[in-house]
Amino acid sequence: MRKEFQLHDRREFLGNAIKGAALLTALPSVRARAAERAGVNPFAYDLSRLEKTDPKLISHEEVRRWRVSHSDARRIALAPDGQLLVAAGNYLTAFSAEGERGFEIALTEPARAIAATDDGLIYVGVRDHIEVFDAKGQRKATWDSPAKKTWFTALALNGNDVFAADSGNRVILRYDRSGKIVARLGAKNKERNIPGFIVPSPYLDVEIARDGLLRVNNPGRHRVEVYTPDGDFELAWGTASMGITGFCGCCNPINLALLPDGRCVTCEKGLPRVKIYNERGEFESVVAGPEMFPENARACASKGLGDCTQGGLDAVADAQERVFVLDLVTSDVRVMQRKA
Amino acid sequence: MSEKSKAEPTSRRNFLRNGTRIAAMTGLGALGGVLASRSQAENWVWQIDPQKCLRCGNCATKCVLEQSAVKCVHAFAMCGYCNLCTGYFEPEPNALTTAAENQLCPTAAIKRTFIEDPYYEYTIDENLCIGCAKCVEGCNRFGNGSLFLQIRHDRCVHCNECAIARTCPGDAFRRVPASQPYLLKTTHAH
Repeated sequence: MRKEFQLHDRREFLGNAIKGAALLTALPSVRARAAERAGVNPFAYDLSRLEKTDPKLISHEEVRRWRVSHSDARRIALAPDGQLLVAAGNYLTAFSAEGERGFEIALTEPARAIAATDDGLIYVGVRDHIEVFDAKGQRKATWDSPAKKTWFTALALNGNDVFAADSGNRVILRYDRSGKIVARLGAKNKERNIPGFIVPSPYLDVEIARDGLLRVNNPGRHRVEVYTPDGDFELAWGTASMGITGFCGCCNPINLALLPDGRCVTCEKGLPRVKIYNERGEFESVVAGPEMFPENARACASKGLGDCTQGGLDAVADAQERVFVLDLVTSDVRVMQRKA
Repeated sequence: MSEKSKAEPTSRRNFLRNGTRIAAMTGLGALGGVLASRSQAENWVWQIDPQKCLRCGNCATKCVLEQSAVKCVHAFAMCGYCNLCTGYFEPEPNALTTAAENQLCPTAAIKRTFIEDPYYEYTIDENLCIGCAKCVEGCNRFGNGSLFLQIRHDRCVHCNECAIARTCPGDAFRRVPASQPYLLKTTHAH
């Protein structure tokens, strides 16, 4: 039975009038919402659910932040005396953990790799060759470019060895301190069961752990690989996943750092995040999630100027397990300390 | 002699006749010149600057053609031939296979071909591509941006006022000489 609309008294009339007025007021906002919905890109590449980190997984908090003196920051390294060395633009600059600026070395080209020794020497990878400076910033040596497509992206020191990651040729070069190449590590070799590095964008990092073995990222295979200094492939860990326990996108992790106890800190681009894995390669915690680096994430997303080869993060850890995260887009260094 | 050198007075009729002839000749000459210069002049066509493209999706929906003249193109020299291509796969695929639920493209316009472990080649089927830029965003978001959009001139009807250009939020549309109708990406300068 259809109910007929009939007014019985003034109170009912007023009540209905108020309801009608409320409906008329609400209509434009409903319309606006519909229009807004109509303007949304129906083909959007949506990663919003992955851009927030579960707070329970975050082990560190930011205690300080400072900006390096030059733009185009690329790498951060820790000198034996505790100073942080940052390569940005055509400069290599030393900073204290608090961000106080120390010495600075002007370079002829942007530096992409840094390592410092106990005796005060600083090794700098400049595109296709390595330069050696003393503590006063005087150039002591320039090593020749080893190959045509060389593109150095990382350096690591161990005793008399200098390991240099050549992302252009997808190998780790082992030099002695005089600049002579002793070995080439990591090139694909079926007989030695070496899978070879897959490096779609110029991010190949090398670190030396306290066990004397090399940790190298293999971004195209979404894992970290372990090699002996002689180039024997020992093991690998890591999985491809947008989820927090894996490595996201086409090619991650891009950079590595090691904590004093051997745990590994990994840096990713696209979804800029820094995480810690234990020595067995099991995910442990998040140092910093994508929500901490909005500009870095934007550099790769629609609002950015280009693609994701300009984004990303680098990190280094000190003896107090503080993680210094360098944002390659904003040139900020964030000092991350384990939560109490 | 002096009498012969004296010019004969011109009649008004002759003056007008000669004037008309000269004006007609001049006009014909000018017309010929204009036509000749027009035949040599450069035509201009619309194209997308891939460095300005924001991957907004308008190219798929605003073109006057039923299926947009904008297509995804692939700079193979830049491509990493990744196993996990973020231009091909959904952000969280069930598996790295060609199953429909794993593919990012709404029309399955990208073909994945195994090359050698762990490399795969990705090619665009332009008959299926609608120019939505979803794959372009996926590629740029994590990779080096080897996938990008271009107007395909075998399909474009060359509207004087391009309907997509009018709404492009990145101001990425511009006119380019018809002799060089594409703005292609080349290998990345790191």
